[in-house]
Amino acid sequence: MKKIVTMTLAAAAFVLSMSSCSSNDDEPEVAVADQVVGSYTGTEVLTVMGEADESTETFEFTKSTDSSVDLIIPKYGEGMMTVPALPVKGIMLTQSGNTITGKLAKYEGTVKTADGAEKAYTVSDITVIFSGKTVVVTFAQKYGNMPFAFEGQFTGAKK
Amino acid sequence: MTTYLANRISQFLLAGVVLAMPAINLSAQAFRDSVELEPVVITASHTPKALKDAPVVTRLITLHDIKMTDATNIQDLLTQEIPGLEFGLAMSQETSLNMSGFGGNAVLFLVDGERMAGETMDNVDYNRMNLDNVGRIEIVKGASSALYGSNAVGGVVNIISRENLEPWTANVNSRYNSFGHEWRNGAGFSFNTEKWNSQTSFQHTTIDPVDLPKPYSSEEIAIELMKKAQGLPYDASVLNDDSNLSRLYGQKTYNVKERLTWRATDKLTLVGRGGYFFRTSERDTYDYHFHGYSAGLKGRYAWDYARHLELSYAYDQYDKANFRPDGTRTHDHDYSNRQHVVHALYHHPFGKNSLILGADYMHDYLSTYQFIDNTSHAQDNIDGYAQFDWNITEQLNIVGSVRYDYFSASAQKALTERLAVVYKFPWMTFRANYASGFRAPTLKEMYMHFDMGNMGYMIIGNPDLEPEKSHNFNLAVERTNRIRNSGFLDGRYNFTLMGYCNSFDKRITTIGGPVYEGMESALYANEDGITVWGVDVSLAHIWDCGFSLKVNYSWMHETGHVFYSDFYQPRSHSMTWRIGYDHRFSRHYALQAALSGRSQGKPQSGRTDVDQGYTICRLMLQHHLWRGIHLNTAIDNLFNYKPKSYYYSSPLTTGITFSVGVSVDLDTQIRF
Repeated sequence: MKKIVTMTLAAAAFVLSMSSCSSNDDEPEVAVADQVVGSYTGTEVLTVMGEADESTETFEFTKSTDSSVDLIIPKYGEGMMTVPALPVKGIMLTQSGNTITGKLAKYEGTVKTADGAEKAYTVSDITVIFSGKTVVVTFAQKYGNMPFAFEGQFTGAKK
Repeated sequence: MTTYLANRISQFLLAGVVLAMPAINLSAQAFRDSVELEPVVITASHTPKALKDAPVVTRLITLHDIKMTDATNIQDLLTQEIPGLEFGLAMSQETSLNMSGFGGNAVLFLVDGERMAGETMDNVDYNRMNLDNVGRIEIVKGASSALYGSNAVGGVVNIISRENLEPWTANVNSRYNSFGHEWRNGAGFSFNTEKWNSQTSFQHTTIDPVDLPKPYSSEEIAIELMKKAQGLPYDASVLNDDSNLSRLYGQKTYNVKERLTWRATDKLTLVGRGGYFFRTSERDTYDYHFHGYSAGLKGRYAWDYARHLELSYAYDQYDKANFRPDGTRTHDHDYSNRQHVVHALYHHPFGKNSLILGADYMHDYLSTYQFIDNTSHAQDNIDGYAQFDWNITEQLNIVGSVRYDYFSASAQKALTERLAVVYKFPWMTFRANYASGFRAPTLKEMYMHFDMGNMGYMIIGNPDLEPEKSHNFNLAVERTNRIRNSGFLDGRYNFTLMGYCNSFDKRITTIGGPVYEGMESALYANEDGITVWGVDVSLAHIWDCGFSLKVNYSWMHETGHVFYSDFYQPRSHSMTWRIGYDHRFSRHYALQAALSGRSQGKPQSGRTDVDQGYTICRLMLQHHLWRGIHLNTAIDNLFNYKPKSYYYSSPLTTGITFSVGVSVDLDTQIRF
């Protein structure tokens, strides 16, 4: 009986020593935000009043905190009919296996247009999914006095 | 002659009965009486006539109908009562209307015969039409410009106020509806003496924003999008959402009205009225504020029963402005429409016949951010009209009308006519009617200069626009009769069948315009019109035992230069129906119950990405309790219909809802 107890204590001491050593041997843990920041280029589909418009765009993700990112939705339209790039801040991230998911119910901000005027905007229902080098983004954006919202879908790959 | 006078007297007695019917106290017997005593209408001929004698088919919504539909606003009421009439949403979630192929600006809404100022893009602010003091509503489909001028192209809806004839009445009421957690609180007071009659009403409503359910969440869409990106099997239908709307904005309204009548002498009556309306709509970025002001003075001098002169002045103003969340006004969306109307009407009898001569002057002023440099424009409208009502025999009646209008801003003239023939067989009444209609270009359509949403897309007005024109032909047969001594069927029934053709030309719409300072544009222009063919059928049976059945069906078809917008989806088939029951069980308890429904067919456009048609049913129970206390309960959308996707012509429902309300007649409480 004494021998069994001694062996158990020895095994426990070994496990503890190994585990304390292993923390020194592992790679440093990378914050979830650091895993996804960067530029993603791909296809954006904006739908307004049932009409869809498709274009190639680049979405920029920057680190906000270790567990959240900021996003810049690129400008849309040409000439006078331009919606400027819209920053969205504080998308909270969670990781499950190789998939990182970000969600934000609503972000309200203001942005300056080319002629210096300040416009209010709202981006809502934001969902971001990262898997490998691929990202998908879904959102709804409302800009200035536009009486309707744009529904957005973006699929892109990291450069 | 004796019969004629007796008819006239009964009509006027009836008018008093109809106008005097209090909102809640209406018993089953009173309802049956109101049906049997030949209700009186005025809209079709500018003069009181028994409904059965009206020269044009007139759809009458009585006070009893209003109660049985459980409607609390004009949109709900008309949608439930008139097949082929559908409200939807327009830009900025303002209300759009479609009635048998005609948009809101081609249907003239009147309150006690007076126009309302408003947002002339489509029509007036329907929230201003408080049902609390409404006595009846008359709807004349088809053109009526020969009597009412511009906008009476597709029809006229005349909302007529109630006049209580009891010494005094007072009522307070409150109601909750689970859709948007809506609260509707109101109060009314009236008094009546030999010389004076006063009607005062107040209503306040609040409704929260309603998030419309989406078929799929943003996360579900993102997951399918990721599957697609990774080359995995995915559900494409999840990625294609045809909804145009995701949220209905909340709003608050305040509505107060006063009407004071002074019977100065046996011959002279003066009526003064005033009203104030406020609505705020809470939007994502700004709050929209709407103000309505109305005032009027009318004098009526009657030499005798049939010969009288009316002179009136009416003022109506409708303002809009945007406010930031901190309460400061932006001043970049200011809008004000002001109308002054002077009206004269002379009615002269010639035996059984009568002549009406009328004239109006209207000054219309509009200041809006949609004009260049926020400037304003105004125009004057002068018109004169005449109508002769020729009762050739007891059976045959011909009514002819002609009217001339002149508009100063466009220098446009319009001559409109109407000829209506009524022949009463012993077993059926036959009506044939021709009427022309027009809609003058609005100040907005002539002078708009608007960068839509600051998006670099201009909408440009056109001062050279011509009035829209319409020609309406209709034929109708009607049978009203009483069944006696037949057991279960004993009661009164009415059957009406009307076929019509509405030819509508020079329609004002927008077409691709010139490039303006580098921006694309849309330009207002006259285009080829459409022809609308249709059939309306209505059937009503009111049993002596208290049951009632009403069925209304409408079919319409458009030909010509037909186009459909997101705000405009006419349907070929539509139907409304109601099964009602009225019974007083004891001195202290009476019940009114109604099971009603409305069915809309698929959009005539052939659009398939939205619901192809729907039916919504409602169950209403109104309990009349002790001492003037009334309890109202209703379940709407009984079968929990939910649109596949929400677009501008979707029914604004998220499924089954309920409402409960209480109304107390304070005068009954005190008198008891």
